[in-house]
Amino acid sequence: MAGSQDTVAGPGASGGHATGTDRRERLRRFWKSDFVRSSPFWLIPFLLMGLAVYGGIIWNFLISLTDYEGFLQPPDYSNLDFEMYAQALADPAVFSTGRNTFVLLVAFTTITLILGIFLAILIDSDIRQKNTVQTIYLLPFALSFVVTAQFWLWMYNFQNGLVNTVLGLFGLGPYNWIGNPELVLGAIIFALIWQFSGYCMVVFLAGLQSIPNDQFEAAKVDGASIIKTYWRVIIPQLKSASVSAAVVLMIFALKIFTFLYAMFGTYRPPKGTDVLATLMVREAFNLQNWAYAAAIATILLAMGLAVVAPYLYYQYRARAL
Amino acid sequence: MTEDTSIGSDTVSRRRVLGASAGLAMVGLAGCGGGDTTTEEPEDTPGNGSGDTTEAEPTPNGTELEVLHAWTGGDGAAAVEKLTSMFKEEYPDLATNFRPIGGTGNVNLDSVVARRLANRDPPASWQAWPGQNITQYGGLLANITDVWEENGYTDSMNSRAVTESKLNDEFRSMPLGSHRMNNLFYNVHVFEDAGIDPDSVDSPSALLDAFETIASETDAVPMAHAMSGPWTTLQLVFQNFLGMHGYDAYMDYIDGDGDKALLVEALETTQEMLSNYINEDAATISFTEGNQKMMDGNAATIQQGNWAYGMYRAEDSGVEYETDWDWMEYPGTEEMYMIHIDAFTFARDTNTPVKQKMWAKFLGTKDAQVEFGNRKGTVPLRTDIDTSRLTPFLEMTADHLANYDQFPPTIAHGLAVSPEALSACKTAIGNNFSGPYDIEAAATGLMDAVSQ
Repeated sequence: MAGSQDTVAGPGASGGHATGTDRRERLRRFWKSDFVRSSPFWLIPFLLMGLAVYGGIIWNFLISLTDYEGFLQPPDYSNLDFEMYAQALADPAVFSTGRNTFVLLVAFTTITLILGIFLAILIDSDIRQKNTVQTIYLLPFALSFVVTAQFWLWMYNFQNGLVNTVLGLFGLGPYNWIGNPELVLGAIIFALIWQFSGYCMVVFLAGLQSIPNDQFEAAKVDGASIIKTYWRVIIPQLKSASVSAAVVLMIFALKIFTFLYAMFGTYRPPKGTDVLATLMVREAFNLQNWAYAAAIATILLAMGLAVVAPYLYYQYRARAL
Repeated sequence: MTEDTSIGSDTVSRRRVLGASAGLAMVGLAGCGGGDTTTEEPEDTPGNGSGDTTEAEPTPNGTELEVLHAWTGGDGAAAVEKLTSMFKEEYPDLATNFRPIGGTGNVNLDSVVARRLANRDPPASWQAWPGQNITQYGGLLANITDVWEENGYTDSMNSRAVTESKLNDEFRSMPLGSHRMNNLFYNVHVFEDAGIDPDSVDSPSALLDAFETIASETDAVPMAHAMSGPWTTLQLVFQNFLGMHGYDAYMDYIDGDGDKALLVEALETTQEMLSNYINEDAATISFTEGNQKMMDGNAATIQQGNWAYGMYRAEDSGVEYETDWDWMEYPGTEEMYMIHIDAFTFARDTNTPVKQKMWAKFLGTKDAQVEFGNRKGTVPLRTDIDTSRLTPFLEMTADHLANYDQFPPTIAHGLAVSPEALSACKTAIGNNFSGPYDIEAAATGLMDAVSQ
């Protein structure tokens, strides 16, 4: 986009002595610039995307400011206020689902990252059947939530589930993974970690393989232990990989609705796993509280943005964006 | 080539644009936060769409009659297949569009309908529980009172179904069949092994005694129960309520006039059942898996709507009526028929008002009700059918429907309470009565739900 200066300089920037021919000349050059000539290729997708995504977000936000509910009245945009947000902040259901969402987000992302980096280091250290092992770890990521949710539900079965059977070998349990509200969120998080740690591993592995062997050798010559080599030399270089993996993981954590719906077949998952997304769907599609649901959606979006914003800022600072 | 298309503009790089637009977005958000009310109304705001009603005119075959239902699999799919082919036989030239939308308990169907109604694009007809459930569609439903009156359905349908099909004093809904709710299905062999006489189990406390006997005498779990959603437990609580305190107390409760002390007693009994006598994997299973446990003899009983019968009747079920499985009215609810209704409801302001009424009329016919019922396991709501056309189990249920006087409407399936109240009931059960059990909180939640 080297030619884009024409567009930005604009007529306003031309000093006081702009003549007619001058202006025509600039218009002609603008018209022939790369910016304009390339526009059919990027402008259309840009507009479609902008309308579908950002238009949707803005419209959702507007609806959340109305009192829209039921089917009879269209939303009234003449009287906007933050009543729904006030109501949401005072609603214990929003608080508890928000807390569950947050716990899920943080615990799932952190543990998956740590596990991913650990697996990547193991695989990177030239084990046998490296490619096979890598595929085995990555495979769960390729499975749909619909599949993984259903078989984790079977694995968590109290009587004949695999989890309790295996723990039973060590004399532990049995635990009521899904029925006990104190365990169920952990059980869900564990299932998600199982599904995504492979992906995380692949991201880190790519980062690890771009680090030249010299650094390992240099560290060795300097007498650094293996742990110290990784901790001081290697892991700091994986920063950008970990940031991008973290963002993808957080986005998956926010999409937990699919997993819960596939698992329980209802918009109302058991106590302890109710998240903002399920609450939003119930408010909108069971009860037609459209404005209230839109407010919850906006809160969820704000949570998502709060998570992603530091990453964007970091990338921007690192001149990667 | 003047100097003012300067090199300076080179610095307006992609990064600058990014930074600036991020800043602008922040300012914009902040501006929104300031509470500006100058928003334009979107162009597609409806309100003038319903003006062009060509209602009285019989529609020729231009527009399809669009019907949405939730019977996507198993016996439901077979039943609806039969139903639609009968309708097409009856009206061979009619363009129709029957669309199944799957999901347990109509959840997906309801959200599709909600979205379409909100977008002013209603389907002509859709499957919906009548009663309080359709209050959410108030003002959007077609009046089909003439269909009811012209065909004499007001006299030939079950009285409770007549009441539940009305909204604001007009008929808005046409029932197709009923599932009975106050059933206790049991495994005959387990009862024999435990030495229990089914006739002696005539109250929830007698049922608890029987459970104790089963637990000590056999290897089977006394009751199969599924708790992956709150509705099954909600259902069980009110079976106990009805069995312990009777019809009038139940009706008082759903009218928002209930006695909390009675509710607490019912919750206590239910808790005793759930804490001691059900399968341990209840939290992860659905009612079909629970039902299978009873059929296999791993559980003695199950409380369910009579859709459970669909599994016993399947050819490869391996169980026979009365030799392997049998049925009793839920203890204490004898001479009552807790009623659930599957019905279709009809949108106003569609392009197919005449076809809608043909469909409504068809749904109420004896043939439609019997043929659908035999396949789906529903009981026809017509009281003038020849019940010998039904399978033996359904025939008995249909006789009860025709001869009983007390038809308490189901709570868990929307007849008795509005969607808001039902949602609040499920929250009360899901949060406070799915283990660990907090009877006081659950009772308060249930009382508040119906008093709104």
